[in-house]
Amino acid sequence: MPQVIIYGIITGAFYGLTSIGLSLVFGVMKHLNIAHGSLLMIGGFVAYWAFDRFHVDPFVSIPLVIGVLFVLGAALYKGVFCRLDALPEGHKINNSMLVGFGLTWIIDNLAILFWTSDVRAITPAYMGSVVELMPGMRVPLVGAGTVGLALLVIFSLHLILTKTYFGKAVRATAQDRDAGNLMGINVERTYLTFFALSASLAGIAGVVAAVNYSVHPTVGFEWLLKAIVILVLAGVGKIGRVFAAGLALGIAEAISVYFTGPAYREVVGLVLFILVLLYRSK
Amino acid sequence: MLDLSRVDVHRGDIQVLWSVSLAAQEGKITALLGSNGAGKTTLLNAVTGLLRASRGSILLKGRPIESRPVHKIVEMGVSMVPEGRRLFPEMTVHENLELGAFARKARRRRQETMDLIFGTFPVLQGRRSQMAGTLSGGEQQMLTIARALMSRPKLLLLDELSWGLSPVATQAIFKTIKEINGTMGLTILMVEQNVSMTLETADYGYILENGRIVGEGRAGALLESEQVKNAYLGIGDL
Repeated sequence: MPQVIIYGIITGAFYGLTSIGLSLVFGVMKHLNIAHGSLLMIGGFVAYWAFDRFHVDPFVSIPLVIGVLFVLGAALYKGVFCRLDALPEGHKINNSMLVGFGLTWIIDNLAILFWTSDVRAITPAYMGSVVELMPGMRVPLVGAGTVGLALLVIFSLHLILTKTYFGKAVRATAQDRDAGNLMGINVERTYLTFFALSASLAGIAGVVAAVNYSVHPTVGFEWLLKAIVILVLAGVGKIGRVFAAGLALGIAEAISVYFTGPAYREVVGLVLFILVLLYRSK
Repeated sequence: MLDLSRVDVHRGDIQVLWSVSLAAQEGKITALLGSNGAGKTTLLNAVTGLLRASRGSILLKGRPIESRPVHKIVEMGVSMVPEGRRLFPEMTVHENLELGAFARKARRRRQETMDLIFGTFPVLQGRRSQMAGTLSGGEQQMLTIARALMSRPKLLLLDELSWGLSPVATQAIFKTIKEINGTMGLTILMVEQNVSMTLETADYGYILENGRIVGEGRAGALLESEQVKNAYLGIGDL
């Protein structure tokens, strides 16, 4: 059983990484970016090609992934999402979902065109290695890396949002856009940077997905569903709660697999999702 | 300091301001009076750039600002205390003040300005790490003024300071405004419904009705004029 919990924590850390960018953009900018999953997929492919062609370790290629996705995210915001910013909140959420679905189609099919729909995985030499914490409690090395990475991301995001002027500008405009503007904040540029940052976060999750699982052109949408379940579990905009919800989902899934087998893995998440919706609506 | 000439402003399809001309003299307090819906807030929003003038010119120290983005106008020295306070309620008093000094030049002098402001508003210093949303109404209004001063503005726009305040608290805030105007030599344009108290504080006044300027004059003279007495003070001879 402790072993099951460990796997749950690793999965949960990954889920947290998957959801954090989606959740932050939704909380601050009210864009529900369905294309977040496709950005994740691209992050996975960047790491895959870096590993396959140049033998770069996936964890080492993360800065490159962050850079590529940052640029791509900025382009998507400038080209598409910023046009929705003038809409009132409800319309913005609906329209960003539609736009995101469209982008998912385009990006995923371009990926099939360029990279074929083969399923690929990054398999570094230390892939199968495990560390034995206690007799009977083994932690795969890759899993430990995933959890470490998640902690690093939480910590960095927390620092950015609470200590830097950029982070304060983000929080201020999330609370009151016009008032933030009146402080001299260039809201458009702040949003652009923030959206690009969230794309980078999707990229990081993509690398982790490619190492722990696999990557193929339509993998993004599968992880996006998890990310949305977590978004609902966690509520909006709090980093700690997103990761807590990720862990809860990861552990709940692991336990259910232990008792009922992998066939019902997805059911647990969706049942939680429905329970939260029922409970919250009261 | 600020010169508006023949400014029209629309909100959607509806024209709110009609050929408004107005000046705020350097170092003086100018008041813009008028009833609800006269277009006072719209005028201030046109100055800060939150709304665009569809015609006419707005000059700050002789330089046109009517087509600049809001954050540039703030950098040029315009600061506004918006109606309804509009603090960042889930941030601390300290963070609200830091955001007030967001513009690059103001950021460098942040500590110095903050010390100065804590001198004027000692209450805020004691509540530095408290969430802004948990302050009392009067304290919140002080914080909005303090936040607006953090950018070291040349022109301070005040929208309905008396909003949600008791008469006593309003009087205290108006006294503070007079002090700030004196010690910092700040130019102030204030919008108010509270006519008598405003005219006692201001140097010059304009009266806005249905989007048009219908009267102007020195504050003392306006306070005595039949037009103001009849329409706003309810003490004229009928």
